[in-house]
Amino acid sequence: MPKIIDTFSAHSLKILDKNPKEFMDKFVYHLSLYKKDERTDLGKKFHSLICAYIKNFDVSKMIMELSEKEKKIYLNFIDKLKDEKSFFIETEYPFLIKEELNNENYYLTGRFDAIYKKDSEYIIYDWKTLNLPKNPKDDLQSIVYIYALKKIYNTKNIKMRYISLEKLDFIDVFYDENFDYKNRIDEIVEKYKNFTSLQDLSAHF
Amino acid sequence: MIINTPELNRTEILIDEYLKLLKEGVNAQEILVLLRNSKKKKDFIEKIKKKSPLGNIGNLKIYSFEGLIYNYILDNWAIVENSIKSDVNRKIIPNLCGLEVSQYIFKECIKEVDFTGYNSKTSLLHQLFRRNALINLNNLSDEEVAKRAKILKESYSIEANLAINKYKSKSIQLRAFDYIRQMNIFQFLYKKLKNKFNYVFLDDADEITPVVLAYLEHIKPSVKDFYIAYDSNGSSRLGYLGAININFEEFLSQKEIKPKIEDKKISNAKEILNLVKNNQKIDFDNISLKSFLKRNEMTDEVLKDIKILINSGVRPCEICLITPLSDEFLKTTLEKSGLKFNFLTKNEKLNQNKLISYILELLKIINDKNNEDISSYILKGIFIELLNLDKKESVKIIQEYRLERDFKGSNIFDFIKNKNNDEFIKLIEVYEKIRFEKLSVQLYEIVTNFLPLDKDLSKDYIKIAQLLKQINDFEDVFKNSVSNNDLIIQLENTIISENPLSDDEIDENSIVVSSAQKIIDYSYKTKYQFLLDVNNEGWLRQDIGPLYNAWVMQKTWSKDSFELEDNIELTLDRTARILYKLYLLADKITLYQSSYDSLGQENFSGIDKYYKTNSKTKETTKVKPIIPRKDQEEVLNYKGGLMSVSATAGSGKTTIMLLLVDKILSGEILSDIEPKNIFVLTFMESAARNFRERIKAKYPNLSELPNISTIHGLALRIIKENNNFSRLGLDYDFEIIDEIKRSAILAEITYSLGIAPDKTDLYDSAISAYKNELSIYGEFDCKNKLFLSVFQLYQAKLKEQNLIDYDDLLLLSLKLLKENKDVLEYYQDIVKIIIEDEAQDSSFTQQNLITLLGGKYKNIIRCGDINQAITSTFTNSDVAGFREFMKKSKNVVMDRCQRCATGVLDCANNTVKFAQKNEIDAFSSLVMKPVEGVNIVDKNAVKTEIFEEENLENQFILNKIKQILKKDKNATIGILLRSNFAINKWDKLLKDNSIKTYKNSDSLINNPVYKICLLVLEFILNPYDNKKVVEIAQELFEYGYYKYEEVKYAKSLNEAIFLKDDFDSQLWWDLNYFLFKNTTSIYELVNEIGSYYFSNSKQKDNISLVAAIAAKIQLTQKTFENTVNRLREIQYKTNFSNIKFFSVDDTVQKANAVQIMTLHKSKGDEFDWVFIPEMTQKNLCFDIGEYKLKENSIFIQKVKKEPKNDFELKKDIIEENYRLIYVGITRAKKKLYLTTSNKYKHFSRIETFKNSEILEGLNQYA
Repeated sequence: MPKIIDTFSAHSLKILDKNPKEFMDKFVYHLSLYKKDERTDLGKKFHSLICAYIKNFDVSKMIMELSEKEKKIYLNFIDKLKDEKSFFIETEYPFLIKEELNNENYYLTGRFDAIYKKDSEYIIYDWKTLNLPKNPKDDLQSIVYIYALKKIYNTKNIKMRYISLEKLDFIDVFYDENFDYKNRIDEIVEKYKNFTSLQDLSAHF
Repeated sequence: MIINTPELNRTEILIDEYLKLLKEGVNAQEILVLLRNSKKKKDFIEKIKKKSPLGNIGNLKIYSFEGLIYNYILDNWAIVENSIKSDVNRKIIPNLCGLEVSQYIFKECIKEVDFTGYNSKTSLLHQLFRRNALINLNNLSDEEVAKRAKILKESYSIEANLAINKYKSKSIQLRAFDYIRQMNIFQFLYKKLKNKFNYVFLDDADEITPVVLAYLEHIKPSVKDFYIAYDSNGSSRLGYLGAININFEEFLSQKEIKPKIEDKKISNAKEILNLVKNNQKIDFDNISLKSFLKRNEMTDEVLKDIKILINSGVRPCEICLITPLSDEFLKTTLEKSGLKFNFLTKNEKLNQNKLISYILELLKIINDKNNEDISSYILKGIFIELLNLDKKESVKIIQEYRLERDFKGSNIFDFIKNKNNDEFIKLIEVYEKIRFEKLSVQLYEIVTNFLPLDKDLSKDYIKIAQLLKQINDFEDVFKNSVSNNDLIIQLENTIISENPLSDDEIDENSIVVSSAQKIIDYSYKTKYQFLLDVNNEGWLRQDIGPLYNAWVMQKTWSKDSFELEDNIELTLDRTARILYKLYLLADKITLYQSSYDSLGQENFSGIDKYYKTNSKTKETTKVKPIIPRKDQEEVLNYKGGLMSVSATAGSGKTTIMLLLVDKILSGEILSDIEPKNIFVLTFMESAARNFRERIKAKYPNLSELPNISTIHGLALRIIKENNNFSRLGLDYDFEIIDEIKRSAILAEITYSLGIAPDKTDLYDSAISAYKNELSIYGEFDCKNKLFLSVFQLYQAKLKEQNLIDYDDLLLLSLKLLKENKDVLEYYQDIVKIIIEDEAQDSSFTQQNLITLLGGKYKNIIRCGDINQAITSTFTNSDVAGFREFMKKSKNVVMDRCQRCATGVLDCANNTVKFAQKNEIDAFSSLVMKPVEGVNIVDKNAVKTEIFEEENLENQFILNKIKQILKKDKNATIGILLRSNFAINKWDKLLKDNSIKTYKNSDSLINNPVYKICLLVLEFILNPYDNKKVVEIAQELFEYGYYKYEEVKYAKSLNEAIFLKDDFDSQLWWDLNYFLFKNTTSIYELVNEIGSYYFSNSKQKDNISLVAAIAAKIQLTQKTFENTVNRLREIQYKTNFSNIKFFSVDDTVQKANAVQIMTLHKSKGDEFDWVFIPEMTQKNLCFDIGEYKLKENSIFIQKVKKEPKNDFELKKDIIEENYRLIYVGITRAKKKLYLTTSNKYKHFSRIETFKNSEILEGLNQYA
């Protein structure tokens, strides 16, 4: 009997939405391997550095691991952040949200790169080492993150900001009063339920 | 809040309190929750998720003890990095790696420290690794370590600490920290940071480690509230995993809550705790104990019991098996049963997974430039299992490759390039793409290209992902400084206990097999708990060795010394806690024990002694009562004290000894005696096994048998028990060198000293003699300096490889007892009576050991027959010692022989007279007498014949045998010979005359399982060899497995058997099955072949032994092919790595067969008709003047303190010849033929030989 999944991240929902079979292979049967490459390594390093910087750690020694080019990228980026630094209220912040769908529970999980609060406005920051999302508004990351933040801080004054580390350009996605976040997520979670019950059925015959 | 309760649902109380806090508006990130392990952490989180209201649950800070540390370091790494004094090699993210990586770093560090004379110890790495772990787990300061080094009288503590410090700085330099090292970093770190937690929840607080405790102590002032749940009787991890006993009332200066629970289970569990602590027996209705002799009998019963439960509707997840020995035997045995098992093994080796092992093999080939060691057998597996190639096609291609390789040394990838095959084309493509890549990339590409996305491979993928993570760890830490090949080897051979951050998935449909610790750690509750191998020492293993001692290295250790008593008491305490916790987790517990482990070695010191058997121990099966004869009766009248029994050949000694043990067991002789107080020592392992089987047959329900072993077996137990080996400077995994390895080591040494190869054997026997001399005289000035050099090199080599030899076993156990009063007292208290068989063969050291062990109660019985002392020329036996003992003890004489015809008795007695006449002091004055009405009366039972030529002698014996068999086909006939060499001659002679023979020999190949498995393995390696096929068919036909048609079929084959489709032939099916069975584990393969042909036979017990031998050989061989060749090379050896086959009731093989053996080997046997041919003077000399000393005898004298002169030496040998012929004579029940010939063929020349003097001598009395 395959294990039952009740906890979803933006990443797993994306795959589920696109291809339930791939979702099953990856998250139920673990038929995939993590491919580590220099790009993702670098991304992790930048995330760690920025997090440490926001937490007011002295990172002057750590950045010596970076190449000159990488260092420049980092310093340029920090330069942009420095004036706003005090408005970051959380960094590397994990969340866990409980939801209900057809009398069953499911959970949303994820990690905000950073949460920024100025006056009553909340900004979810997401640092990107690769390209910025093409359709940020429909991107499941935006949907899940904004929904989660709304649940955590009980506010509607939210926007999600994707920033490119290298180019320093960014895109903002605002909370949309008219959009049914929960429904969009439910739809995808249902794909999993349908897929597994279909499989049960075929196994039965 | 402190709750002290064994109640398992106490976690629920914590969860409710946790949720209450959340409800009150406390933010989840203010609450730290600490749990024993990641499994418990997961469970806790799941429960919080289930019980929380909808919406935001929060940023949970729920960690395992290790997880807290791991995350703490990651979150605050900058502080650590900033405090490291270095301007190069900065790191943004540290490598929080697994133990594999740190073990590798450690290995490099040891090379830089000079442990004079100790560096080469194979176990040094293990010792230091454990030492480092214990120091860190217990948070010991340098002073505390120094104090302990003194207590333990450590000889290498300075070097050890130096190596550990080197490791520490190296790990800093590489920023590579395993979970142990992370503890150091954590301790530095938390003191620099402000505490953020207002609330702390702590479950399983009895398993807390000192480091975590110190942290809690540190943050205590700033924490508002603590919620602690624990069981003050818990702490199963005391002493080796760093748990400590804490008084939490003191810690919080607050009273604890002890819920009063009326629960039978809890009160029983507490009783278990007390019983075990006080060394008393547990006797509950829901616990039962089943005992067996052999391990496969035990596993058969376990499987039978499981099947009964499953059939009655019990779900697999309601059963679990707990054993300290989840080895290959258990794995293969359980998996063969068709049931599903889930092994939560602590130490799974990577290549135990078939798919991973083939992937690793492919990676090896890719990274191996010259392709020299490619095994075609492995290649076949890769083709079939990974590339999904057609089976027949694979075998054909591989045969082609082998031929081509032998011819021009081809590279495998060049070879398959020319094959027009899609899979090969793909393989070449992938190969070209990844051949110069990092190992992680190579692995990734192979898996993604060749492994299907099949959900049945889910478990394999998870393991591969773990492997990939390990590889990534290595690559992160070492960059390119470790080559791909080295890395594969490192990963393959890594067996270290798990990294605590990984955990097992428990599958509902399978039965969990686990160590006790893991079941406790996971609180894995089942209805039925089966405890296996309960009498194995693994249940009570202590974490003690040279340079590490988990008891003394506890933070709380306060004594100035460490005595055996401490060890026993602490072990008892921990055992009690473990059994207590296990009991709480089950409704019904069944214990299973077997006298032998799967290598045929005796189990001892398990937990069985704490449980009562349900049935009455004294209950015996009905065996025909034996009425002792008058001369035997006196033995049974024994009332204690020293007694010697002189038992003549055929006097029924074994039977009487069994009766005596029986009587002692019944308590009639000595009061207050239990089986464990009785020690029976035999000369041969087979005799001990036989004796034990007979006692077991008599008392099938007796779980604790008397100690029945050889003296070497007893010595081994003394050295192993209670970790006594550490007092001798040995580590826990020391081994006893076998004949094969010893020869190899000596050959190497003698070669290095320029000694001629044919002289090596001289040194072999001289070493043993020299050690015996050392035991008698202590150090002395040995004149033979060359020998001394060999000896010293040999000793150094043993030490280096953590080996000891058979002589050391006795010497070391003697040394241990002499130098450690506590150990001596421990054994003297147990040994209430000691009975020695074959006392005439006992050595000086052995007698010393017996005297010492029996020193308190002084109940020592030694049985023997001076007249049958026939081992003194090749062992260190000391008949004089037995004679001495006879003088000072009560001497009982059993001089009645009921075996031999009267004429044979006369002949034996005449041999004694003849010796006396020649003034040879070979015998005691004992005269053998017949038993009225039992022995055959035949004055002419002995015939001596002297022939002119060898042929005539042969013909005479052949004719006699034919006549005998014609008259009585059930007659037993023995041909007794002077040398092993002659056995083959007589075997051939008889076989050529269509007479069935049975060679009584201990050689490995004489065992049918060994023989068949080897033949099938050879066939698998060379499936085109039809001669092998014929041989297999013939052997199995003779064994009764195949019909004769299969032999005919095999003989008719005109091409390779696997190319045909002969569905009607069973042989065809079987051999094709084995040929296409792919596994990288030779254990599995041999076990499968063996089980297929022998599982219903009496040889069943030997299957796992053959598999174990093969597996041991594979450890040292590069390829499968080499392993099989090696199995063939050692076929005539009597054992490998001291694994000895169980002797099987071989009446079937012996029936109607003439048994051929040496005179030496015949001791203890009897035959209706006995032939002793070839009695030349050369073979059996009885005249000192005529005897020519052999080089070996002279050489041995040269290493002795008081060497005998040639005359004395000759006299000894002549004496022994007398006794040897005496033994031969007394084998005959009806008739005895003593023959010789004047001429024999000797190295292709006919030569004249003088007759043995005894022939003429005996005639004088006839």
